[in-house]
Amino acid sequence: MAPASTAPAQDAIRISQLVKRFGDVSAVKDVNISVPRGAFLVLVGPSGCGKSTLLRMLAGLEEPSAGEIAFVGRTVSSGTGGVIADAGARDAGLVFQSYALWPHMTVAGNIAWPLKVARWSKADRNARVDEVLALLGISALRDRYPAEISGGQQQRVAIARTIAPKPSILLFDEPLSNLDAKLRIEMRSELMRIHRATGATSVYVTHDQVEAMTMASHVAVLNHGRVEQFGAPIDLLRRPTTTFVASFLGTPPANLLPVTRVQDRFVFADVALAPAAFAAGHERAQLLYRAQDIAVGRVGDGHQLVGRFAEAAPIAGQSMVTVMVGDLRLTGMAEGFFTATPGDEVGLSFSSTPDAAFTMEGERIDP
Amino acid sequence: MTSHALVSGRAPLLRANRVLPLVLSVVIALLVAAPLVKILLATLTPDGLQAWTTVLASPLSANLWWRPLLTTMLLGLGVAAGCLLVGGFLAWLVTLTDLPGRGLVATLSTLPFMIPSFAGALAWGTLFRNERLGGSPGFFQANGFDVPDWLAWGLAPTMIVLIAHYFSLAYTIIAAALSSVGADLIEAGQVAGARRGRIFFGIVLPVVTPALIAAASLTFAGAVANFAAPALLGLPVRMQTLSTRLFGMIETGETERGFVLALLLIAVSAALLFFSDRLVAGRKAFTTVTGKGGRIKRFPLGAWRWPLFAVALVIGLATSVLPVLVLAASSLAPQGGALFSNWTLHFWIGEGGDALAQGQAGLFRNPMIVEALWNTLKLGLTVALTTMLLGLALAYTIVRNKGTWLAAVLSQLAFLPLLVPSIAFAAAYIALFGAPIGPLPSLYGTFALLVLAATAHNLPYAVQSGRSVLGQISNDIEESARLTGAGLLTRLVFIIFPLTIRGLLAGAILVFVKMVRDLSLVVLLFTATSPVLSMVAYRYASEGFMQFANAITLVILLICLAASLAAHLIQTRVQKWKQ
Repeated sequence: MAPASTAPAQDAIRISQLVKRFGDVSAVKDVNISVPRGAFLVLVGPSGCGKSTLLRMLAGLEEPSAGEIAFVGRTVSSGTGGVIADAGARDAGLVFQSYALWPHMTVAGNIAWPLKVARWSKADRNARVDEVLALLGISALRDRYPAEISGGQQQRVAIARTIAPKPSILLFDEPLSNLDAKLRIEMRSELMRIHRATGATSVYVTHDQVEAMTMASHVAVLNHGRVEQFGAPIDLLRRPTTTFVASFLGTPPANLLPVTRVQDRFVFADVALAPAAFAAGHERAQLLYRAQDIAVGRVGDGHQLVGRFAEAAPIAGQSMVTVMVGDLRLTGMAEGFFTATPGDEVGLSFSSTPDAAFTMEGERIDP
Repeated sequence: MTSHALVSGRAPLLRANRVLPLVLSVVIALLVAAPLVKILLATLTPDGLQAWTTVLASPLSANLWWRPLLTTMLLGLGVAAGCLLVGGFLAWLVTLTDLPGRGLVATLSTLPFMIPSFAGALAWGTLFRNERLGGSPGFFQANGFDVPDWLAWGLAPTMIVLIAHYFSLAYTIIAAALSSVGADLIEAGQVAGARRGRIFFGIVLPVVTPALIAAASLTFAGAVANFAAPALLGLPVRMQTLSTRLFGMIETGETERGFVLALLLIAVSAALLFFSDRLVAGRKAFTTVTGKGGRIKRFPLGAWRWPLFAVALVIGLATSVLPVLVLAASSLAPQGGALFSNWTLHFWIGEGGDALAQGQAGLFRNPMIVEALWNTLKLGLTVALTTMLLGLALAYTIVRNKGTWLAAVLSQLAFLPLLVPSIAFAAAYIALFGAPIGPLPSLYGTFALLVLAATAHNLPYAVQSGRSVLGQISNDIEESARLTGAGLLTRLVFIIFPLTIRGLLAGAILVFVKMVRDLSLVVLLFTATSPVLSMVAYRYASEGFMQFANAITLVILLICLAASLAAHLIQTRVQKWKQ
């Protein structure tokens, strides 16, 4: 479901029917996305889904094979015209996964060089370098070389260098993937603070769905070069349109049970789960159950499945319990700390209605 | 496993650990430090002090020192500049552009370093020699081109031949540096709005500057120390460099003056290497900061792709294939001016006594040359063995005693020969071993002396490869084998031997190649009675028997190429499991 968009010219970024082919392989297939000014768009998907290629086309480092990219109403790349506005001439900045700091320049030199290229005066340059160094809290590092500072500090320098020329579009290529877990969470809020402070429109590529859900105003889930679903993070969680989106987003992951219709019920492993009316007209379907809709142990007279205990992880006073039913991994919730020995029999009770139903091909079935 | 077994197993090792460094210290002091100290002392005797005055401040000093110094510096600067231009240009084409046939150009660019510089000088003479000195003219002169003196003899041809030899060294260093410039660094510049030229001068060039300085100083030092090229192309017209002057002094018995020149040559070469090392050390030695990396950004050459490919191909062929072809043709042609007619195998296998070559027999029928061939192989193999053994022992001791003054001294001494041009090193050996020491006879002119000098001079390479070989066996690897219960012998056979043997062999082969094609070390240390091939070739060339000189050079080349090929095969097999 597309977010509210006003007249096309007002969109900060508008991607239409974008295709990128490398030889016979299509890395990006018919992508359509537009976001308003100030949006934080996250492109999320497994590795090889085309998200980095899409970002590089936005940056002007790759030519599209077909389709069009427009920034604030101005076409910057198209399948017919190639890269119309050069990487440097599209008012966009890119933070590289590798940081790409120039090793022969100091921190201040790295930040000032793009300004020099853009012909800022020396006084303006110095003032701006001081300003962004302060914004990122790295003023003390200004005369160090990139090899002399830590990974987290390099990351801050890379961001400072990118925002220094005040681009109206900020592009991030998995910027946090080289940081350790604690630093990553810290930089996440740091990045959002900078996004708000600069007022720029950001596009952020990641394979980490947690980053996508916490940072984004808009999320595009990519798979095999296609946009599986595009919308606000909450909408994607609430109403996934495909099983791919449903299983990719959310912690703990949602459960998908393949079921077959037996008379007026859908049945999994001889256990009747939902009324056939839930996906009327389908003989087989996949039912989506959230972890919180599956209780460990017998609850009331709900539908119960029995499986073998695999693992449990405590989360916010509850336990996330994973059970193997045949080859299927199912995750349910238990109160308190749950302990068992792997292989133990564990019963799972399902709530009366599933969250959603999908065809066997993965498309959502609306009742 | 009990602690008792561990202790008793380690005790002899500990003892060996104390003896080995001592033995090595003595050996390396004798091999490296003693000759250099002795040559200095030899110039501090009354005769020696007189020689200093003669060389530096006398009516003779212009000829003995200042003019050779000027020529040497010009040669060094010219060669360094030429190597940077040619090697840098080819490295840029191969690593950063979409040039067609990059693999071919890369291979051709590394070949010339395998070809000894006297092969290049001989090939140059075969083509460009003019009638100024009599004898049979070269190919171009004989076919109606009037080759001017400056192109036939002296500084210009010496410089060209040395550039053709050393540019591949510059190429290797610069290409390695350029390939570390990741695509991200360049794209970050593009996103900042910088144009091609700005990116090249603002990012690529500064990042590889340390490599450029290293390449310039190494090629400069190589040119300054080279003996063969100036001797073959410069001496006939009285162009003297420091190394030919030094050779001439010792040949004519002015030993002290020769020693003084050797010390001065060492000072010039060492000062340069030392300062260039300081220049790139410390903060300026940029390490590229990279997470992903590895991806290379190739600039499209557009319409220039094929013309530039042609230029690169011509440079590669002219410096590697052409000299070999010229030498081969010349060794078959009775007339230097008609390289491609009347071919005969006389110079290879002909019987003596006929009109050709003043009645001398062909290469393989001349017992002196056959002996030289065996001498050469024997020398190469012996030095490869001694150098690698000593190098490995030194590397082991340096690594195990890391952080102690002993390790520091040993590694400084082991790398000292790198700063000493080989002809000056040979002079130092003459100073020490040229006269009987106490009851020991003079070693001058013996095979043993050459082995000692060559071992010492190749030590830096041997220690380096010893270190990298030892780097293959971490303590973890050995310990994990020990935890399975494998005894020392089992570990040696199944873990240590397979991990090190290939690296050791590759290192040994490189030393072998360096020895087989070496002229500047053997030219002072060997006598006519037991010659090696390079000496014989040099002597034939000086006497004007170009076909013999060229044929022998070709034999040297073939040995070197075969050995290099073997080293290459072994090295790729060494890295097989790393892919």
